[in-house]
Amino acid sequence: MKIIRELGSFILIAGITTLVGAILVLAVGADAGKAFGAFFSGILGSFYSFTEVLVRATPLILAGLGVAVAFQARFFNIGAEGQLYMGAIAATWAGLYLPSMPLYLHLGVAMMAGFLLGGIWAMIPGFLKSQYKIPEVINTIMFNYIAINIVGILVRTVMANKTSPLPMSPRLADDLHLPFLADPTRLHAGLLVALVCAVLVYLFLYKTTWGFELRAVGNNPRASSCSGISVKKTIVISSLISGGLAGLAGGSEILGVHGRLLEGISPEFGYIAIIVALLGRNHPLGVVLAGVGIAALQIGATTMQRRAGVPASISLIIMGLLVILILGRQYWVKSRST
Amino acid sequence: MKQVCKSFGEVQANQNVDLTVERGEIHALLGENGAGKTTLMNILYGIYQPDSGSVLIDGQPVSISSPGEAISLKIGMVHQHFMLVPTLSVSQNITLGIKERGYPFTDRKEVDRKISQLSKEYGLDIDPTAIIEDLSVGVLQRVEIIKLLYHQAELLILDEPTAVLTPQEAENLFTVLKRLKKDGRSIIIITHRIAEVQSIADRVTVLRDGARVGCDDIGNVGETRLSEMMIGRRLETAVRSDTPTRDRSHEAALLSLEGIRLKGRNVNILNDIALELQAGEILGLAGVDGNGQKELAEVIVGIRQPDGGKILFEGNDVTGLGVRKRKRIGMAYVPDDRHHDGLILDMDLSSNLILNSHDQPPFTTYRFMHDQVRRRHAEQTISEYQVKTPGVGTLVRYLSGGNQQKIILARELEGVPKLIIASQPTRGLDIGAEEFINKLLLAQRERGAGILLVSADLDQLMKLSDRIAVIFDGRITGLFNNDAGIDLGEIGLKMAGVTGAAR
Repeated sequence: MKIIRELGSFILIAGITTLVGAILVLAVGADAGKAFGAFFSGILGSFYSFTEVLVRATPLILAGLGVAVAFQARFFNIGAEGQLYMGAIAATWAGLYLPSMPLYLHLGVAMMAGFLLGGIWAMIPGFLKSQYKIPEVINTIMFNYIAINIVGILVRTVMANKTSPLPMSPRLADDLHLPFLADPTRLHAGLLVALVCAVLVYLFLYKTTWGFELRAVGNNPRASSCSGISVKKTIVISSLISGGLAGLAGGSEILGVHGRLLEGISPEFGYIAIIVALLGRNHPLGVVLAGVGIAALQIGATTMQRRAGVPASISLIIMGLLVILILGRQYWVKSRST
Repeated sequence: MKQVCKSFGEVQANQNVDLTVERGEIHALLGENGAGKTTLMNILYGIYQPDSGSVLIDGQPVSISSPGEAISLKIGMVHQHFMLVPTLSVSQNITLGIKERGYPFTDRKEVDRKISQLSKEYGLDIDPTAIIEDLSVGVLQRVEIIKLLYHQAELLILDEPTAVLTPQEAENLFTVLKRLKKDGRSIIIITHRIAEVQSIADRVTVLRDGARVGCDDIGNVGETRLSEMMIGRRLETAVRSDTPTRDRSHEAALLSLEGIRLKGRNVNILNDIALELQAGEILGLAGVDGNGQKELAEVIVGIRQPDGGKILFEGNDVTGLGVRKRKRIGMAYVPDDRHHDGLILDMDLSSNLILNSHDQPPFTTYRFMHDQVRRRHAEQTISEYQVKTPGVGTLVRYLSGGNQQKIILARELEGVPKLIIASQPTRGLDIGAEEFINKLLLAQRERGAGILLVSADLDQLMKLSDRIAVIFDGRITGLFNNDAGIDLGEIGLKMAGVTGAAR
């Protein structure tokens, strides 16, 4: 009975979003059949298009995992975007300026640098929350602006490419690149990093005492402290890991896609990651599925724009609608069961 | 009320309940927690709509779809948790929602005068200009009752009115209720205390599991009959063996508090608390809620740090230790607020059972937790404590209050603690669960544990404690040996802060 209702509600959500999507497509005066055809062929039309979905999903999964870890600890990290950029800065810096070392070591060090700087960036609001009860939602959002503008400053000053008038860093050495998984597509080993991270996050959350304490604190900080779990420490740890994962997303974008630091490397991955975590119910497996799903939606929408002249911003509208419907569904299911 | 049915989801809160209240009578609605008393009254007061059945007033069927309509039918209700706006004055609260003459420019003085008059008439002493948040619970209840009288209610519903009162305040309340009865008003009093029913009510209706099990004049049913009706079986009560298992008075105290102070925002919550607790005794801490007992319990287990004073446990100063350390050296804490302090409702039963010991073997090696061990441990506990649950993976949220409390007790009593701080351990539980927990505490005492039992329920304290300390306004105002000569009235006075000299 309950399963039928749950399944039914998901079918209903899928139905509503498709319907709204169709209405929007018609409203801009496009041929609905052609638009939907383009949408699906953009996702599954060829092996190449499918790898593009996975390339897009990689940062979404990594940052989404980060957001999920934070949300499980009830640390509302809205700052994955900024943490991603900080990770990108650190990875680029490590790629450009560290003394030469074996390739894989260098890649590993650069990714770790991304993890660390992203983690520290999130740990500041985490510390402020745990120590002084300063709301993390506001702080993490503000830290996004700071991080994005730090990138802007860096690519024009100390990390600027002296040979080019454009605001960007010099290119990393050609071989300093995450291995490609399926030449000639752009699919790179960042996806593997994301999947390994999903497994690690799962083990961390559900099999270790750290994860146990993190979930306990997220569910009921008061009861946790009454039984002797340190709430402050747990929040700081969760913010560090959360930001670190978002930082890895930035590192993976630098080392796997762009090869240099520039402004706008993230088309709001950090914000979409919140949707990914929400859709994935803060569970690593859910995050992986939601990350691929959202990536597919976005890639499909761009193809639709290219081939059928439908604005890709429709995908954003659909995403917004999805969030509202899913939150509404949770509320609905809860209110029915009590 | 005839054949009233109401269900929430799959829970049948009321089924075919009949209730008849005559003009000018005090009618007790007796039943355990969860028996459906409050639901039935909320239907009468228009908060809930019945699924079926009807409500008749003076023989006329009425449908009451909101508290507003109930008030216009001269029905009034005092909820267990008072519904007052803390920042407004007494008279503003009383006139809340009614448009007085001259609205929106109400003649406040006139209203105040009327309120004072009512207050004098019924002996309900209040100051109409006082601000709600400055008043004590006993006074707030008077405000609620005056509110009903001001609305000219003919039928007054009181939900567990004595739960927050000292014995003397309860006596006063009963006097007021008798006066109201004399005026021809009807009163329904919701309660689960049989003694109360016998001292005040004319007739009683007993509910069990949402259904009416009986209705009779109070003279026709005795105490045992009432309790049988209420819980559906005979009750074996827990009895404390009169003498402590062994004389320990010459031994060093298990716990001693020296000059414990705790500052609140404006006032001192705890003032120079000094207490000693021996192993193998139950020390009851009596007091009206909110006089510092919760804070004291939290200071002892280390959730709060005191602003002054020392805590000695087995002769060692433990003041600087954290909760975890104190639990490890033999303290246990049963908090009064199960849902906020004791349990993580959205985690499963087995996880809640190891909240204190999750990072210890056998549950964990090198930070990796063993799910199997955890589950097996939970299964053992469930059978040992007779926890009713579909399984060890059930979220604690879905267990009943009694079973939730058993989870907390099982967790805290694990590892054979030397000291148990039990704060309102039976609050809100039905009689069966209450007895289970009382017996458990007595068994721990026999075993040699020292227990600090915080309770607002004097009956429970009298039944279980070896000694009773009284706390008022953050001070220990009295300490009594619980023997034949104990003076309940004296304890009540101490609870109300009346000192010997002032009498």
